[in-house]
This record gives sequence, C-alpha cells and structure tokens, in this order.
Amino acid sequence: MDQNMNFQTVMLIVGFLMIIAGCYCMIRTYHILKIFIGVEIAMKAVTMFLVLAGYVNGRAGLSQAYVITAIVLEVVVAVVFAGVTIHLYKKYGNMDIRNLTQLKG
Amino acid sequence: MNYLNYAAAVFLLIPIAAIAINNICPKPYMKKNFHTLTGTVAVFQIAAAAYALCAMNANGLTAYDFSILSNLKITGSALFRLTPVSLIFLLCIGMVAFVSVAVASKTVESMRISYVNLLMTMLIGMNGMVLVKDLFTLYVFLDVVGISSFVLISLFRSTKALEGSVKYLVISEFATIFILTALAFIFMQTGSLAYQDIGGVLEGADGSQKNLIYLSIALLIAGFSIKAGAVPFHSWLPDAHQSADTAVSILLSGIVIKIAGVYGLFMVVSLFPGVRAVQIALAAIGVASILTGALLALRQTHFKRIVAYSSVSQIGYILLGLSCGTTVGLIGAVAHVFSHAAFKTTLFSNAAALHEQVGTLDIDKMGGLQSRMPVTSLSSVVAFLSTAGIPPFAGFWSKLLIIIALWTSGSAVLGGVALIASIFTCAYLLRLQKKVFFGETPEHLKNVTEVKGGIKFVEIALTVITSATGILFPLVLIYLQSRGLI
Repeated sequence: MDQNMNFQTVMLIVGFLMIIAGCYCMIRTYHILKIFIGVEIAMKAVTMFLVLAGYVNGRAGLSQAYVITAIVLEVVVAVVFAGVTIHLYKKYGNMDIRNLTQLKG
Repeated sequence: MNYLNYAAAVFLLIPIAAIAINNICPKPYMKKNFHTLTGTVAVFQIAAAAYALCAMNANGLTAYDFSILSNLKITGSALFRLTPVSLIFLLCIGMVAFVSVAVASKTVESMRISYVNLLMTMLIGMNGMVLVKDLFTLYVFLDVVGISSFVLISLFRSTKALEGSVKYLVISEFATIFILTALAFIFMQTGSLAYQDIGGVLEGADGSQKNLIYLSIALLIAGFSIKAGAVPFHSWLPDAHQSADTAVSILLSGIVIKIAGVYGLFMVVSLFPGVRAVQIALAAIGVASILTGALLALRQTHFKRIVAYSSVSQIGYILLGLSCGTTVGLIGAVAHVFSHAAFKTTLFSNAAALHEQVGTLDIDKMGGLQSRMPVTSLSSVVAFLSTAGIPPFAGFWSKLLIIIALWTSGSAVLGGVALIASIFTCAYLLRLQKKVFFGETPEHLKNVTEVKGGIKFVEIALTVITSATGILFPLVLIYLQSRGLI
C-alpha cells in the first residue's frame, strides 16, 4: 500500500512538471511549431493522468476508452493547427508569431 | 410520449443528414441553394425545441432520457437527457444558426459547401453539449465545437483571419489541458464521470483527496472561463470576432461562447451546489469581466470589436447570475443567455449590413446613416436599449432578475456594481450610435442605401423578438411563480 501511494505521488509530480514545462514552452517561444510541441508535451501529461486515474480506482477499461478518445481529438486539433501553420508560412515566409500584429486594441 | 423521442432525435440526426445531403448533391446546385438547406435545419431545431418544451410542460416532466440507436430498456443505454434548461439553450442555438445562415446568404460568396459542413458539425457539437449526461462526453462535444470554429474563423485564409484563428487555437489548448486534467482527478476519486455520480464527491473525500477535488474545480472554472471569453482570459475573443466573416462572428458571439463556456460553468455550479469557493470565484470573474469589457469597449474604433468587448461584459452578468447559487439567479442567467443571443446577433447583423453597404466597419469613417438605413438604425437602437437594460426590452428583465438574485442572496454590493456598470454599457453603445447613425453625413456616404434580402429580414425579425419577449416577459414570471420557482 505504501509503495502504491509513493508510485501515485511520483506520477502526479512528474505529470505536473510536464504540464508546467509544456505551458512554459507555449508562453516563452515565438516559433509556431515549438508552441505546438509545448501543447503536445502537456497533453501527454494529461493522458498519463487519465491512465493513472484508471489505475488508482480500478476501472482501467473505462480509462482506456477515455484515453483513446482524447488521443483522437488531439490528432484532429494537430491537423487543424498544421493547416493554419502552413497558410501562415505561405503568407509570411517564416513561422515567427511576432509577425502576427494586425489585430490590436 | 413517443413524439418526444422523435423530437429529441431531431437535434442530432438532422444535422448529420444535412451534411450527407450537402456532400452528395451536385456542387453547383448546392452552392446556389445552401441557405435553403441550413435554414430548414435551423427551423426544424427551433420547432422541435418549442414542441418538446410544451410537451414536457404538459406532461409535468423535469427530465426526459433518450437514446438514438440503442434500446432504452437496457440499463445505461440512455446517453442523452432533455431538461427545460437544455431546451432553452437548444432554442437559442436554432435561432442564432438561422440568423447566421440568413447573413451568410449575403456575405459568404465562396467556400459555401465548406461553410455548410462546418456549421452543421458545430451544430452537432453544441446540441450534444447541452444534451449529454456525463462530463467526458461533454468534453468531446466541446472539442467538436472548438475545432469547427477554428476552421470557420480561418475559412477565407486572409492574414487577419489566420491570426485570429491561431490565437483562439493556442488559448483553447490551455482550456483543453485544464479541463482534461480536472476530469482525470475527478475520475480518480469517483470511478465514473456521469453527472449523478459526481454530485456527492466532496462529502466523501478527506484531506489530500479534498484538495485534489478543489484543484480540479478550479481548473474546470478556468477552462470554461477561457472558452467563455471572461476576463482575465478574454484576449482571444475580440481578435477572433473581428477577423472572422460576420456570419461566423454571429455564431461565435451569439452562441459558441455561451454553450462552450457558460453552459460548462452552469454544469459546474449544478454539480457542486452550495460550494462557497465556486460562488466567490464566479462572482470575482463576473465583476472583472463586466468592468473590463465595458471600459475596453469605450476606446475601440472597429464596430465588431466594440460589440465583441460588449460580449465580454455581458458574459460577466451571466456569471454573476450563476454565482448566486439560488434558483432566481439561475433563471436570470438563462434568461440573459436568451436575451443576449437576441440582441448581440442583431448588432452583428447590423455590422454585416454596414459592411455590405458602406464597405468599412471603422466607426470614425461613418456618420449620419440614420436616414439612409432606417431599418438597420432602428434595429440597432432597440438592441442597444436591450443591452443597456432599459425597459420594456428583453435585456431589462434578465438583468433585473440577476440583480434581484444578487440582492436576496446577500451580496448587495455586487448587485450595486452590476447596476452601475449598466451606465458604462450605455456609454459605449451611445458612442457607437452617435458616430455611426447620427451627426453629419460625410460626402462619400451620400449614395448609401438600405440593405436588402436576408440581412434586412433577420434585423426585423430579431427586433420583433427582443421587443415581444420584453413585453410578454411578465407572463413568463407569472408562469414561473405558479410553478413555485421564484
């Protein structure tokens, strides 16, 4: 039991560190693809939380269903993001978000 | 009772059928008739919601479980639930979708097939969100709404549209991360995410478990506030609204921020009733949104930006209504969702009319359009009076209910703030009216004429809805009193 508690705590801390790293990456970089890498890192941590939740409460089947659905949605978002990125690259010739200054106020 | 089951199926099956028809029919034919198809879907949805509301009332039902493909008699097969509140949300969705289509028949020249596909996907997502019975499915439909709105914003691939879309996308990803983390923690404690299993989770928890639950509630509130565009998460909202096509802005401001954001917060409030922390958080976000949105709207010069910041401000009123935790507050919030959907879509259709006829939306370049565009001018005045809460329009009654709820639940100060902030609402909308419709007419605007077709029709229809709801609202209050709700 004690060992189990330790395992959960470790996983929780690792997950939070990954989320913080991902969010820091999203805030601090100016390259669009690097921002998306940050999103992906944080989403992997969230997926791990779902798996951990299924492990803790003993309903691994349900958590499997949740994880697969979450991954599918993540891929769809990735596709949309890539599409927008390609069009921005065609317009500006690079992927720096500091170009995006047309909407202000 | 059987008819109620068919009416319920309309909300999810008809949009799917519309997507199929849209892609099977020959392209030139669909390009010409795209508004007939989508308008029919919206009218069907309005009719089904109104019918189901009457049927549930006649049978005295407060909830009706239904499923689409499986047999209802098997336990756990009913995946969807109709309630009076969700029916009012569905009515708003149908109304806003109809207005968007009517405006799109004028403003959307190319990409019509994609527009219909995305609009129908978004309709499925929003209908699903208000019908589901568990939090994970709510998240799935929330992502469906989000993805279709990212693509709709950047539909015409102008630089501004791509910029607005990218900002919305990145900020929405924060919301997704927050909401999914919260769901994982709640799932860890309860072993299920169905609404009826989450209710008692706070009572059964102790120590560190309780902290995790509180953390997940905070994450849920943050995530849904991002989707609702409430302060301090509002930065994406004016950019996305300004850069999108006006038909898409109507959808975003009229309904998406309310279904994706406010309905989620409504679920949080009803899943964790009476939790003081939730109420304080919602009240703080609400007051900040009201004041910041109104003050920022005062210094904008773009028509759609002013209206977008006004949305931020009005969302604050809805959150204040939710924060009371009383039935009157919830009724006020839902009523304000309806009246906000009506007057905000009116203001955006005015924006579409001005963009069509004048060619710009910069309010410094306009003036004296009242005599040249009488219908647009009159409908925008009615919408402005309703936004500011002047009787007898619909906005007055919903704001009155919210302020009464705040007063009776012991936060009189917040009620006072909500009342005084109405003056700011008057200020920025008066500035808008004065610069666009009154004063001297510049030389280059002498030949402007009134807009025709779909836009004119929805302007008149929405003005009638706003006025009629306001005049007939006492009947609603009498009905609610007879049911013992207020």
